[in-house]
Amino acid sequence: MLSQTHKVVLALLFGASEPLTKSQVDVCLEEEVDLEQIIEDLNIYLESERLPVWIQNVSEGYRLMTRAEYETWLSRLFQNKGKLRLSRSALETLAIIAYKQPIPKSEIDAIRGVDTTLKPLVEKNLIKIVGRQDGPGRPLLYGTTTHFLEYFGLSSLKDLPQAKELTEIVSEEDNLPDNAEPNATE
Amino acid sequence: MSYNVKLDIFEGPLDLLLFFIKRDEINIYDIPIAHITHEYLDYIQLMQSMNLQLAGEFILMAALLMRIKVQMLLPHPEVERLEEIEDPRTELVQMLVEYQKYKEVSEQLQELEEKQAHYYPVNLNADFRNYDPELFLSDVNLIELGLTFQKILAKMPKVKSIGIEALKISIRQQVLIIRGFFRNRTRIRFMEIARQLSDRIEVVVTFLAILEMIKSTEIRVSQKDIFGEIWLTKKRSEENNVIANA
Repeated sequence: MLSQTHKVVLALLFGASEPLTKSQVDVCLEEEVDLEQIIEDLNIYLESERLPVWIQNVSEGYRLMTRAEYETWLSRLFQNKGKLRLSRSALETLAIIAYKQPIPKSEIDAIRGVDTTLKPLVEKNLIKIVGRQDGPGRPLLYGTTTHFLEYFGLSSLKDLPQAKELTEIVSEEDNLPDNAEPNATE
Repeated sequence: MSYNVKLDIFEGPLDLLLFFIKRDEINIYDIPIAHITHEYLDYIQLMQSMNLQLAGEFILMAALLMRIKVQMLLPHPEVERLEEIEDPRTELVQMLVEYQKYKEVSEQLQELEEKQAHYYPVNLNADFRNYDPELFLSDVNLIELGLTFQKILAKMPKVKSIGIEALKISIRQQVLIIRGFFRNRTRIRFMEIARQLSDRIEVVVTFLAILEMIKSTEIRVSQKDIFGEIWLTKKRSEENNVIANA
């Protein structure tokens, strides 16, 4: 059975509209807890009871998600007919920004070899303006948002996929956090 | 050489070059520039033959490829040791390698996106009534648009019969309208009449009505110069009668 602390954390996860962080949990419980362990226990519980939700480690926090097998019905609820996905150019642009942020548009264009439109990505809240570069024209600098992490199910930027030659760019390339859905029945 | 590139959607000139490199199993660090330039220009011609307008970047890359090709052909008499000559391809190779890296990452991001799309966050504030899926469609490039348009055209039902609408107006009716204009005047401009007409066929019928009235000598038409104003003048009834009786 679940302890009181486990139940409180589960209640917090239900109520939170954004990924719940460890510090938020500590404040609510008025004590420091081993959140990682609690989440793991909860996931085992949710799985053993065959409940339709699980907890994902996303965007530096935890979030209650529906399981993949219920997608059919949820997609009807949200009326997203068919699968709307980002275009290849949008994904390329995001990949560049994710690794090279903060980055001005001119550098993105130089890497892609084409003129890039950033507005749609800003509108989708996947990237944001994070400042201005010193130097001529003081161009705007772009970076990824927390929604970017949520959208791709990443727990943090360290979790970004690695291309063969990109490993040297990210300093901590070791210990990939376990972000997989535990015992997911897909 | 047979040409069997299917019209993949290329994000830009670098993407197109990488496609050739992959397809022809070319070593990216030792690109046969003549071959790749040839392929590249062929593709550009194909695009133009499809009436797809080429982005400036594609033309710019064509220029770069040709410059490299020329540089590779030119002898370097002043330099004694071969190692001192910089390979003119270096810049292009660096661009390709860099782009290739991010392209790979973007493919992995796509997999993550696909996986994550199966889950919905438990969200007390979810507003699914005004969900706007259109928002996700704003990222469409010209080629995609062009191809989609062709697909839609292909799907359109073939027009088997063309409807012909019965004319709602007649010459007789227009004659009466023109006579109405003459009720208290003897001269009117054609444009005055035409201005009140709503479509092309009405103008044509009205014009025929005028011709009819000229034929029956009810009116006279005068025009001072070519494309100038056309004046319609009503003949006096006595005059009319005289002619009619003649």
